[in-house]
Amino acid sequence: MTTELKIPEFSANFAESGQQGKWGMAIDMDICTGCQACVAACAMENNVPFVGEADSGYGRSMHWIRTERFWEGEFPEIKMTPYQPMLCQQCGHAPCEPVCPAFATVHSQSEALNLQVYNRCVGTRYCANNCPYQVRSFNWRDFERPEPLPNQLNPDVTVRRRGVMEKCTFCIQRIHRAEDQAKSEGREIADGEFTTACAQACPADAIVFGRIDDPESAVSKLARGSRGFHMLEELGTLPSVTYLKAG
Amino acid sequence: MVKRFMSWLSDPLGRIGLLIAFLAVFSGAAFGLYTTQTAPPQPIQFPHNLHVGLGVQCLYCHPGAYRQASAGLPTETKCWGCHQQLSKYADGTVALPAELQKLKAYVDANKPIQWVPVAQVPDFVHFNHRPHIAAGLNCENCHGDMSKVTVAENPQVMNMGWCLECHRARTVDNPEKRNKLLDCGTCHY
Repeated sequence: MTTELKIPEFSANFAESGQQGKWGMAIDMDICTGCQACVAACAMENNVPFVGEADSGYGRSMHWIRTERFWEGEFPEIKMTPYQPMLCQQCGHAPCEPVCPAFATVHSQSEALNLQVYNRCVGTRYCANNCPYQVRSFNWRDFERPEPLPNQLNPDVTVRRRGVMEKCTFCIQRIHRAEDQAKSEGREIADGEFTTACAQACPADAIVFGRIDDPESAVSKLARGSRGFHMLEELGTLPSVTYLKAG
Repeated sequence: MVKRFMSWLSDPLGRIGLLIAFLAVFSGAAFGLYTTQTAPPQPIQFPHNLHVGLGVQCLYCHPGAYRQASAGLPTETKCWGCHQQLSKYADGTVALPAELQKLKAYVDANKPIQWVPVAQVPDFVHFNHRPHIAAGLNCENCHGDMSKVTVAENPQVMNMGWCLECHRARTVDNPEKRNKLLDCGTCHY
């Protein structure tokens, strides 16, 4: 039997050999108020543990999405840049993938997402060190969930254990559920039929999720607009997340 | 250290001690292996062979397999729905057997039966029954012939090689489906 492993390789011309995304997201930085609802919703949906103050002090805080902000100028004359929710960009040519020695972070051929296979991960943390967006988080401990917190765990998502890398999955459990539902009814998934936890929780609808390969979807229309840009585009990572500049 | 151990070995008592230690480790390992190969104890000794032999469909008690991820295990009311109609027990001509008395106790107390799942996959595997039934698989393809077992047991080591064997064989002529069914993210997330 022939092997079917597609081993990713480093190359200078990232963008040419990369794969265009299937699912995409558009985040409007003009609408985002930095309320952190997406951060909370993501943690609840994806069983992201609470790290606590001590470990956060070591820079071991765990978030699959975070709200970034930057200062310009000296205090008190500070000019704030717009809030920028930062999550895994689900790169078409991801820097995290070729560096994993255990093939735990692989590219999904069918969903065009960057996967993290928890049961394969041995915790070398190469992927996190090679991620230009710094969106991967590592389970430094088996973080405690005192009663009754275990009752709110999402059964559709694996509870990760110590020594495992994790990151945003574009709520792949919701993708699978919607795909399964659509297939059982013999139809295609309609645009906006389901969305990720962060987009669902956003009170200002700053986050739009959908099929980026469908030119008629809401997210594609937003991403095509003149305000759209990709984070660190010059690296050629082909991100699936498009940010919309504050106008 | 080695010398002390050797002198200890030349003593017959030391040899007996070593033998006991070896036997303890070996029997512990053997017992551990044995427990992984046996079916877990169930609250009621449910005879699958009798029910399948009477013509009850799998999906009558495990309807979730047809439409969702989990096949589901029947509640006490579902069992009692049939069993309370059995006239030979209802009119008192035949005494209620011990296992059915346990069932009646659950019904009277209005408490769910804590069935122990037998065919299980680890937490990092997300199995969905629906697409498998929709693909034309029958229950016995994975769970074995239930008309031959009493209390449920798992005839199959459910590991990834076993899953992929079937996924590979069934998608030889469909590359798109093959991509989907061999993708890590289809089951692991």
